[in-house]
Amino acid sequence: MQVYNAPLRDMRFVLHELFADDQFDAGNSAAFAEFTPDLYDAVLEEAARMSQEVLLPLNASGDLEGCTLENGVVRTPSGFREAYRLFREGGWAALASDPQWGGQGLPETVNKLVEEMTCSTNLSFGLYPGLTHGATTALESHGSEDLKQAYMPKMVSGEWAGTMCLTESHCGTDLGLLRTRADPQEDGSYRITGSKIFISAGDHDLTDNVIHLVLARLADAPKGVKGISLFLVPKFLPNDDGSVGPRNGVQVSGIEHKMGLKASATCQMSFDDAKGWIVGEPNKGLSAMFTMMNTERVSVGIQGLGVNEIAYQSAVAYARERLQGRALTGPKRPDLPADPIIVHPDVRRMLMTMRVYAEGCRAVGQWASRALDTQKHGETPELRARATDFVALMTPVVKALFTDLASEAANICVQTYGGHGYIREHGVEQFVRDARITQIYEGTNGVQALDLVGRKLAANMGRNMRPFFHAVSNLCEDMAGEGDKALAAQTAALQQAFGALQLTTATVARRAMKDGNEAGAAATDYLRMLGLVAMGYTFLKAARIATAKVAEDDGEVDFYRAKLITASFFFDRILPQATAGFLAIKSGAGSTMALAEDAF
Amino acid sequence: MGDTIETGAIRKVCVIGAGVMGAGIAAQVANSGTPVLLLDIVPDGATDRDAVAKGAVAKLLKTDPAPFMSKRAAKLVETGNIEDHLDRVGECDWIIEAVVERLDVKQALYTRLEELKRPGTAVSSNTSTIPLGKLVEGRGDQFRRDFLITHFFNPPRYMRLIEIVRGEATDPALAQRVEDFADRFLGKRIVPAKDTPGFIANRIGTYWLAVAINAAMDQGLTIEEADQIGGRPMGVPKTGIFGLIDLVGVDLMPLLSKSLSSTLPQGDPYFDTLRPMPLVDRMIADGYTGRKGKGGFYTFDKATRTKRALDLSNGQYRDTIKPASLPRAADKDLAALVSAPGKVGAYAWEILGKVLPYAAMLVGEAADDVVAIDDAMKLGYNWKFGPFELIDKLGAGALAKRLADEGRPVPPILATAGDRPFYRIEGGRRQYLDASGEYRDVVRAQGVLLLEDVKRAGEPVMRNGSAALWDVGDGVATLEFTGKMNALDEDVARLIVQAIPVVKARFKALVVYNEGTNFSVGANLGLAMFAVNIAAWSEIDKLVSAGQQAFKALKYAPFPVVGAPAGMALGGGCEILLHADAIQAHAETYMGLVECGVGLVPGWGGNGEMLDRLVKSPAMPKGPMPAVAKAFELISTAQVSKSAAQAKEMSFLRPADGITMNRDRLLADAKQKALAMVDGYTAPEKPVFRLPGESARVGIAGAVADYRKKGIATPYDEVVSGRLANVLTGGDTDIVDPVTEDQLLVLERKAFMASVKDARTQARVEHMLDTGKPLRN
Repeated sequence: MQVYNAPLRDMRFVLHELFADDQFDAGNSAAFAEFTPDLYDAVLEEAARMSQEVLLPLNASGDLEGCTLENGVVRTPSGFREAYRLFREGGWAALASDPQWGGQGLPETVNKLVEEMTCSTNLSFGLYPGLTHGATTALESHGSEDLKQAYMPKMVSGEWAGTMCLTESHCGTDLGLLRTRADPQEDGSYRITGSKIFISAGDHDLTDNVIHLVLARLADAPKGVKGISLFLVPKFLPNDDGSVGPRNGVQVSGIEHKMGLKASATCQMSFDDAKGWIVGEPNKGLSAMFTMMNTERVSVGIQGLGVNEIAYQSAVAYARERLQGRALTGPKRPDLPADPIIVHPDVRRMLMTMRVYAEGCRAVGQWASRALDTQKHGETPELRARATDFVALMTPVVKALFTDLASEAANICVQTYGGHGYIREHGVEQFVRDARITQIYEGTNGVQALDLVGRKLAANMGRNMRPFFHAVSNLCEDMAGEGDKALAAQTAALQQAFGALQLTTATVARRAMKDGNEAGAAATDYLRMLGLVAMGYTFLKAARIATAKVAEDDGEVDFYRAKLITASFFFDRILPQATAGFLAIKSGAGSTMALAEDAF
Repeated sequence: MGDTIETGAIRKVCVIGAGVMGAGIAAQVANSGTPVLLLDIVPDGATDRDAVAKGAVAKLLKTDPAPFMSKRAAKLVETGNIEDHLDRVGECDWIIEAVVERLDVKQALYTRLEELKRPGTAVSSNTSTIPLGKLVEGRGDQFRRDFLITHFFNPPRYMRLIEIVRGEATDPALAQRVEDFADRFLGKRIVPAKDTPGFIANRIGTYWLAVAINAAMDQGLTIEEADQIGGRPMGVPKTGIFGLIDLVGVDLMPLLSKSLSSTLPQGDPYFDTLRPMPLVDRMIADGYTGRKGKGGFYTFDKATRTKRALDLSNGQYRDTIKPASLPRAADKDLAALVSAPGKVGAYAWEILGKVLPYAAMLVGEAADDVVAIDDAMKLGYNWKFGPFELIDKLGAGALAKRLADEGRPVPPILATAGDRPFYRIEGGRRQYLDASGEYRDVVRAQGVLLLEDVKRAGEPVMRNGSAALWDVGDGVATLEFTGKMNALDEDVARLIVQAIPVVKARFKALVVYNEGTNFSVGANLGLAMFAVNIAAWSEIDKLVSAGQQAFKALKYAPFPVVGAPAGMALGGGCEILLHADAIQAHAETYMGLVECGVGLVPGWGGNGEMLDRLVKSPAMPKGPMPAVAKAFELISTAQVSKSAAQAKEMSFLRPADGITMNRDRLLADAKQKALAMVDGYTAPEKPVFRLPGESARVGIAGAVADYRKKGIATPYDEVVSGRLANVLTGGDTDIVDPVTEDQLLVLERKAFMASVKDARTQARVEHMLDTGKPLRN
């Protein structure tokens, strides 16, 4: 069964308590001066209600029914139109958008927590507003004033939806190969012709209009990625008064039949002399697209976190009520025919693993969100630059780590259910299918790892790493200095993993200069190591706060006690993976690359 | 300098003509410690009849980069005029004529000199174009025996080339004396040239520039594109072609052209390059004569702080346009460059396809062999590779084939070479192909010892990724840094420690030396920044400690250690030298403890060594304070010597340390110095310092606060100075307490680590890496 109660207490903990002393403090800036912590809590509660009451009930049914293509029009599953109306009217679509365009201007720290709830309860649904948000990000940064005036208000409010059209049948990761063509017209517009595949929310019945951001090539453009431009192509051309006008040359030629995420329409699109307008400069489309891609990548990580959380809760619910066998140390519930399976250490292992993944990712995601806010609203240019460095480093980590762990958690959830997890009835195999795509889209996790090792690590003599590495170093030094005996073991564990990460970072950087394959072979393990240390950092901080709170005994002591135990489990049972990563990377690329291609 | 070698009898030199070249030559003669008489004409109606020569010296003192290596050198120049003082040439052993390039003027001067000079006193002309035969017309046999051409390059202190033309009558022994002096005292590499117009370097150089300008115009390239293609990929300094013309002066072009075209033989390819240049004429007329004028092909707009470039098509200045990057292969491989598609290959081939055959044609005509031509272009025009080294990159056979395919003449030496290279390594020796098609050894001047040659001939005694130990003969080992930019790192420290027992067992002495452009600018800041970024504090601390220990091990090694720097020796590169028993420095050595500039303090023992030098300096007043104050001044303001002579004035070098004028002779001199110390050598005693502690720190802090108020020191300068002062004053000590060297090292390490962890230091280092300039935060 799909069980979800929004983890509001932990959300408030990461939002208000965990990073109270963090350098990324834009939450206190003028941009958010009118908001109070109470308001944020109220927003979270409302979001929880909407997620639990509106979105969760449509999750399994939407998966079963899927989207359909009829007469060239995509229909979303029953209930989605109504849910979207409620979502939009509740202002959820415009939560973190700029008030200039009708947004509510809330910080990303709050927005990402709301996204998590949406994705926990209905990942397919979450994609529709998510893509619109991504499209507005690119448009806001790179679009002309006219385009922004015409499209931003309606897209921000969610009245119109957005997409991003990158992939073609022969090119996904390597966009340099794309073929869609754009021909300039005398009125300054362009005619776009070509086919795109894998277009999420490419068409649907939730909104009156769908605004596509399309990568295409001008006739005289240079080859490769330096010859790609970005265009805005609406499904319906707007009239001067902003109403929906004539149909543009954009058609859905098919929808994909997928493993999961079935309530989200993944479309094949064909553009036939469709009218469009350029966004940004000619041949600079990829960088414009990456503005959107980067924020989307963090959001995809949050999608993973969402699935992780519901998988955890659904597994806990089952483990409490499923009666099988007896505890290894003797019956725990002699009154019942068997003990609930939650008594078994191996089931505990599964539940604790999912739990620390969710709590660790939530904390790291919150840290990244603070940096997202600070890179925009931080007080000094230096602080904004540091936040930008941090976001650059953490974007691939959040995307790949969170989604890899989510897939693992979804599978653990199925494992907890045993055979009942494998059948459809309980709805937990959907988590596995839904989570799987998050490791693939917006740049596969392998590409994220390469981005981290190839671009983020070495750039500017490692400057991107400074905020993260210094934060961890300072915390370890502080904790060691405080001589806190209760957390001495955890501190030592983090120090050890961090030391291994530092050493590995230097090794990878040095080897990568000589041999690209070394960087490539280390990338995925390295990203995991860095992610584990990041989680360790947040758990040690959390444990420090919790230790103090438990001593104060302020009435919420159960939450903090649980936090201490969760943190201990992380340090005892999960963080040692960092050592494995260290050893694996140390061995080098040799055995990975040695086998001749024809010996495979 | 050159003190181990008998140099004949040039004890005083006269330079006649105090123009840019004459004055610069006089300065370099003075730099060698040799008195020099600088004469010029008496200006019309002058009250001071020596005004021209005096004015020239005054100008020298203001020129940057400085023609004089020290203030003392400037005092060795005596000024006068040719009407009242020409008879004083009798005091001189070499007379250098550097007057205006007019045959009649020169001949008239020689007529007078012939009467006044002693027989056997060398007379040489610095002419760049007039044949020797014409210069000595009408002179007697003795004068002809004493006469030769010594062609210096501008600026004479810094350009290492001298072309020497001996006439048929020139006395070989006299010419040898002049050459020895030019070599050992003026630091020049002698390139023998034949008596043909423009000699070697200017003949090829002028042709090269003309071809490159014409081609850029004909092929419609921007000057940025031309400089990109014709610059670095061909081993030409990064200024490229147009940048170089701006540097030497746009107005020099027509002068050289006029002079060459009036003397070159009929049919010389140079004549094909001549054409009206209205654009250049207008630039000169408007004062756009290059960097010395209002700008040249490039200008710098001070208002907007932007670099602007001349559009060759319309003569208007515009913002510079960065050309697209060259194809990867073309950037690295000369053959790929000339065959690259489009304008890149077309332009590259137009230059190399003309200039290289032109140089080849000059073998036998302007020079005896390819080595002379390559040396001339490398030392006179700062080409990284000589024309024949470039031909080897293309392949002599491939070049000849392409020329033949295009119906162009193939110079005889190219035909002789066939598919063979002009240079090869045979039995560890570098050989060149002579005009007859035989390979001969490249012979170094007598007494020259180059590590380059040692390395070619064998394997190192030991090596790792950043350093190597070589056997340079006679029981002397040489420690070479081999990392990028000769940076010092843990591997260097490790090799030093490992080398000490090896040197002790198998050698008598050690020389620390290398043949990079710069001796070492210290630790690799980029790597250090990477370590800082990943908070690898303990690694950084280990590196500091390893450097301290290695340098001290060097200092107390049971054999003499001589440091032999050339170029920059900054930061750690300076510190390692301060630990040597003695230093033999190339005259162009730029030393300094510059750590404070990037917010650090010296961390490899430099503070203690500097204090020790100053305390023991005979020039220093007694008591602990003067040495501390002087060390503080040198280090806190990151002072760098502008020559070895100045390094001595600043106490980086000790009075007994030696200076070598010729870069090629540095290793040999250092080796001699080391061997001279072997007998009875004992390692130095560990110094014990008496340092003033707190009381002196207060005084220093007050002075720095004052600088800060005046805006000379920045807020963070004050912090860094405080950390430095704490080290130099001995920390928590008192004048009565001895402070050991080891205690100073601990203080120094603490101060270094506190600095490296400071975000303001990190900002400075980062800014330096990004922009190459210090951040004043």
